[in-house]
Amino acid sequence: MAEVRLNNITKKFGAVTVIPDMSLTVPDGSFTVLVGPSGCGKSTLLRIISGLEMPSDGEVMIGGEDVTFAEPSDRGISMVFQSYALYPHMTVAQNIDFGLRLAKTPAAEREARVAEAARILALEDYLDRKPGQLSGGQRQRVAIGRSIVRQPKVFLFDEPLSNLDAALRGQMRVELAQLHQSLDATMIYVTHDQVEAMTLADQIVVMNRGRIEQVGAPMDLYDRPMTEFVAGFIGSPKMNLLPGAAIGRGDVKTVGIRPEHLRADPETGDWPATAKVVETLGADTVVYADAETLGEITVRLPGKMRLSAGERLFLSPEPGNLHLFDEDGHRMEQTA
Amino acid sequence: MATAATSRRLPASERLRRSLGNGRVSAILILLPPALILFTLFVILPLGESGYYSFFNWNGYGAPSDFVGLENYERIAGHSIFHKAVGNTVKIVAVSLLIQMPLALALALLIFRKTPTNAVFRLIFFVPYILAEVAAGLIWSFVFDGNYGITASVAQSLGMDSLFILADRDWAFVAVMTVIVWKYFGFHMMIYIAALQSVPEDLIESGRIEGAKRLQIVRYVQIPHIKPAIIVSAFFAIIGALQVFDVIIPLTNGGPSNQTHTIVTYLYTFGLTRLNIGFGSAVGVILFVAAITVAVFYQRFFMKGDKA
Repeated sequence: MAEVRLNNITKKFGAVTVIPDMSLTVPDGSFTVLVGPSGCGKSTLLRIISGLEMPSDGEVMIGGEDVTFAEPSDRGISMVFQSYALYPHMTVAQNIDFGLRLAKTPAAEREARVAEAARILALEDYLDRKPGQLSGGQRQRVAIGRSIVRQPKVFLFDEPLSNLDAALRGQMRVELAQLHQSLDATMIYVTHDQVEAMTLADQIVVMNRGRIEQVGAPMDLYDRPMTEFVAGFIGSPKMNLLPGAAIGRGDVKTVGIRPEHLRADPETGDWPATAKVVETLGADTVVYADAETLGEITVRLPGKMRLSAGERLFLSPEPGNLHLFDEDGHRMEQTA
Repeated sequence: MATAATSRRLPASERLRRSLGNGRVSAILILLPPALILFTLFVILPLGESGYYSFFNWNGYGAPSDFVGLENYERIAGHSIFHKAVGNTVKIVAVSLLIQMPLALALALLIFRKTPTNAVFRLIFFVPYILAEVAAGLIWSFVFDGNYGITASVAQSLGMDSLFILADRDWAFVAVMTVIVWKYFGFHMMIYIAALQSVPEDLIESGRIEGAKRLQIVRYVQIPHIKPAIIVSAFFAIIGALQVFDVIIPLTNGGPSNQTHTIVTYLYTFGLTRLNIGFGSAVGVILFVAAITVAVFYQRFFMKGDKA
């Protein structure tokens, strides 16, 4: 376990600056998720922490030690790749054991650590198989097992679930959360999926164009997004971002309201709208509506509420749940 | 099982009609004959003829009539120069496998990444392979020339007597093998480069994180990953070594004192140029059997394909 601290990290690829001057602290034992759209620099940042990429400027501290120029293997980190990066010619046991063999760990200790990792990840029956004979979820577990046996100070995950189908992704999310609880290790996890970020993290770092938009606990980001970008990125379905002038708030540029903070009524309300698409999800019903004065708007309603496309409805925002943003996209304190 | 049982019950005409209907038989009927005819005309028939001629004492003129049975084979078996040629061929196989391939792999590992500099080096290393064998042999015969060649200049600048490497019984074949390695390593290097470029970067990076040094990544990650390419390359190296001919003729023509013959130059020298077509045919048959044997064994033991 160790704290990871990035001080004034800059990364340039030729003339292109991918990360301009970023500082971040990942607390000891936390599950920190770097989230953002493709190309925002989150994977580059993870690779800088891992040592696979050198920063153009700034320093990387792990456990209080400056590792900016240290080899990846000397940083006390392990990394799970999106592609799993398993060696196809080695068995599961050999894959898990690889780092220990290179480190010339005594055979008895290696065996014990591999057995323990296999037990934690339910891989005992697959140790003699090769990666090609495993399912996607099993391969992912092997990749995690390879990380565990090295007993690193920091676990790094680079979009580890994005190659899995939706059901398996959900299952692996739970397993990763349990793993974090049982190992109590510092984990840094990169994803572009905000659902993964919300469910796994105890600290989320939202990135956009190489900069940190906001750092905080998942519900802090959800309840108090500090920028318009975070407001639009965190939450599913996305927050409605409406022009202030259109709803009578000429003093703000954008007003954000989450789909679940809108009430719908067939007869009365602030904004008349027509349901265009209705997604019935069971517990919820998500309605994509066309509000005459506001344009497209998304509403999340209780699942028991039945609606059909083409139906008229009136929408009203719940008081106290508006998010106001100024010209620069920064949060304004709510006065409504 | 059900399908098999059904097809057994179907009359032959119906089975044929269905096969024609799905296009498979039509494709075979259209595409196979040209290849089969060419293969028969240019491979099977000449091979059969060689086998036939090898039982005759025949100079290539008129029809063979002097049937000698296995005498040609007996003469070959007892001919010391043939033994030397076989030994030399084995040496070329060994040098191809133990020097040429490792050299090609080492260079491939240095320049497999796609950079402009590497592209230049790739081209430089590949040029010998593009050169015609006879041209390559001539170029190196100038290099090794004891009067005017580079080796002569080097020897003179070092104050030594001129070296006539290609006329030296002990060193001529070393020179030949040097030229063979120089000529063909680029081919194997290209195979390895293509294979190395297909190794996912994640595997290499994962190895670095696990603590593997550069050579350990080569040993544990890259070489196992390109093993199929290495097996194919070794196959080409062995079969190519059995067929070495046109580099040697301009270099040494089998000399000095028949010390640098391979099986093919032996066939050419003692079969064709001396108009012993029956004898040469017998050498050809032996070479063919050797090549087929190597190919079959190699395919069986090394090219089965890793299913895992």
